Amino acid sequence: MAWSRCVSTARYGICWVTWGLRAGGVRVTKAERAAAERFAERYRVAPAEVSRRVELAVIGGDWGANGYTTKQQADLLGRELGLGPGVRLLDLGAGRGWPGLYLAAATGCQVVLADVPIEALRAAAARARRELLAGRAAQVAASARALPFGRAVFDAIVHADVLC
Amino acid sequence: MLRPSGRTAFFTIHPAPGLTRAQRRRASRDGPIAVAAARPHRQLLQAAGFTQVTETDFTAEFAATTRAWLRHWDAGHADLVDLLGEQAFADRQTDRRAQLRAIEDGILARSLLTARRPDDQHRGRAR
Repeated sequence: MAWSRCVSTARYGICWVTWGLRAGGVRVTKAERAAAERFAERYRVAPAEVSRRVELAVIGGDWGANGYTTKQQADLLGRELGLGPGVRLLDLGAGRGWPGLYLAAATGCQVVLADVPIEALRAAAARARRELLAGRAAQVAASARALPFGRAVFDAIVHADVLC
Repeated sequence: MLRPSGRTAFFTIHPAPGLTRAQRRRASRDGPIAVAAARPHRQLLQAAGFTQVTETDFTAEFAATTRAWLRHWDAGHADLVDLLGEQAFADRQTDRRAQLRAIEDGILARSLLTARRPDDQHRGRAR
């Protein structure tokens, strides 16, 4: 998928690409479907004030994340990837935008946020609009096993504790 | 997807090297969902043709962040129980304590991996 098409979808909604019984020719396993449903349930509920307070204290962000990548570590990812204006970044398993949308805001790069739960991507799209990042951020609902992108689309790829 | 000379960088939680089969099972049980890579990520990246692969251990930071989640959840106990229910709160903290024990026992680790996709004309030589 061309970068320009991904970016254009950010204004109208989320580019829903491959999730289904088969995703881009790859059969979705029961475990993947169960994980997707579990995460979707979690993302249906907006983070409460107490969750935001705890997240801010633990990882230094308020992205509705509950993992182990701190703000300091996200900044390190940005440096390792040489992110900056004009650089095209793909964040796999982006959830509500941590760390990909944060990195777009912090470095000026362009970002495509890919994940399965549409609820998380909606939250990321809303935040991108609020923070005036929508022109540099797109959301794609797709499994990492069957991504819909063409060759040589991205300058950098990041993920945080997704592929364990 | 990644252009020639493009870079990837990611954090990953994984079983510590040199574990017995039983310890690996414990790593899968006590770690986050899908701590299941059959081979070390460094090897997987190299097998995929990436070059300049680096791996930096972040296990101490992983333990510190897990402790911080435990501590701050305990501090917010009343509000979080109102939000999630007592059972969900207790289950989550139990899982985190098991994970912390696995980290402290040297079963679970976390690393930062970085790698570069070679230029197409150098791909053969990079391998």
